[in-house]
Amino acid sequence: MTSRLKDRDALVLVGSVLSLGVVLWLMSAPLAHLPAPIGPAAQQFSEGARVTIQLTLVSAVFGLLLGVLGALGKLSAVAPVRWLADLFVWVIRGTPLLLQILFFYLALPAVLPGVQLSEFWTAVVALSLNVGAYNAEVIRAGINAVPSGQVEAARSLGLSRFNTFRDITFPQAVRISLPPLANNLVALLKDSSLAYAIGVVELSMVSSRVQAESFQPVPVFLTVAAIYLVLTTTFTQFAGALERKLAVGKR
Amino acid sequence: MSKGEVIISVDKVVKRWGSFTALNEVSVSFKEGEVVCIIGPSGSGKSTLLRTINRLEEHDGGRIVVDGIELDGDTRHIDAVRAEVGMVFQSFNLFTHMTVLDNITLAPRRVRKWPREQAEKVARELLERVGLLAHAHKYPSQLSGGQQQRVAIARALAMQPKVMLFDEPTSALDPEMVNEVLLVMRDLAKSGMTMLVVTHEMGFAREVADRVIFFDGGRIVEEGDPAQFFTRPAHPRAQAFLSQIKHAG
Repeated sequence: MTSRLKDRDALVLVGSVLSLGVVLWLMSAPLAHLPAPIGPAAQQFSEGARVTIQLTLVSAVFGLLLGVLGALGKLSAVAPVRWLADLFVWVIRGTPLLLQILFFYLALPAVLPGVQLSEFWTAVVALSLNVGAYNAEVIRAGINAVPSGQVEAARSLGLSRFNTFRDITFPQAVRISLPPLANNLVALLKDSSLAYAIGVVELSMVSSRVQAESFQPVPVFLTVAAIYLVLTTTFTQFAGALERKLAVGKR
Repeated sequence: MSKGEVIISVDKVVKRWGSFTALNEVSVSFKEGEVVCIIGPSGSGKSTLLRTINRLEEHDGGRIVVDGIELDGDTRHIDAVRAEVGMVFQSFNLFTHMTVLDNITLAPRRVRKWPREQAEKVARELLERVGLLAHAHKYPSQLSGGQQQRVAIARALAMQPKVMLFDEPTSALDPEMVNEVLLVMRDLAKSGMTMLVVTHEMGFAREVADRVIFFDGGRIVEEGDPAQFFTRPAHPRAQAFLSQIKHAG
């Protein structure tokens, strides 16, 4: 029973990665069969979806690293490190993402004239920092939720601080943090549409363009909404299966 | 019973929590092979004493020397003492994300640098000793409280410690599981292990201990032979405490 459940989770994990690939590379074929205004723009839609997924996955990786660093910073014994992490989370969570994206696009070149980033990478920087701040809170809470008795037991066995973190705290914190991290990932996917404001040709930008050319908002926006739903559903399925697969030791 | 050299010496140790004094210039020493039961009302400092001996709490004054190593600020000294001193907690504190076998092999592999095969061989011997070999590949949540505590004892023994500290090891257990844990502890005492046991199990203390220490208000107020302590306690606080326990039992 249990092993069959695990097998199904493995299937969902592989399946969701495959379906993401299908969406990325093969989506334009079925869309092309649809009547105008969708069919003729199939290539644009699939290109937009690809950019959306790239934005999301690249920012998710950096955001996860920033989240771990931010969480460790917030829990640091060194006060200035803690202040820096708190400041980062406070500023990012307290200001609109759209403003952050515009800031990095318009204000950063004025402040640092040598830095020349493309629209895509500007969006990645802003999205990574944004999701990183939210991840930091989630991971910090996950680390705090690991029972302190287990840390004491590890220390009493002679394990160093580093080994205790690596073998006891971190693996359990990841498991605890996984559902809220998956939430942040889905939010990130949707938030990536704000890159539209600085001219990144992602899915929302495509929908706006196709709509402007065809003057048919209903089929265009319904199609794009459906594509977003397929993507977010794939992400949540993947996260759910991963969560069940990692949930060892729980009854 | 003749016992060996002094292995733990505690000299005028003070531990404070803000304005509360948990240990008030406590001095006591423990000999190799000795089984000492530490009893007393809650908040009297008995658990705090155990926790300072492997530095889970830092003492504010006095000296603690374990097996010739002084517990001062030096991390190497602290790690060295912890590797020699096993600890069993009231709430087991097993690593819930690891199997029973991994719980036991982790510290020997990381701290003693044993290869996995050697660590697992020793772990299986210990599991056999505590009667849980069949459960090696289960997770802690699949075990009863008594079984978890026996795994915790095996986990501490895997480091081949010279001293075992038990902090109310049966207090969190259902009554029918207390005995299986006490049996393991009895065997351990017979094997010559040095044991410091904070407990409310007066039967165990009376039968197994070489010496009983009674704590009250952060001080040791009475210390002596269990037979004498349980029949004719000298200190009024000890008399009151024992009569309370008898009434409750």
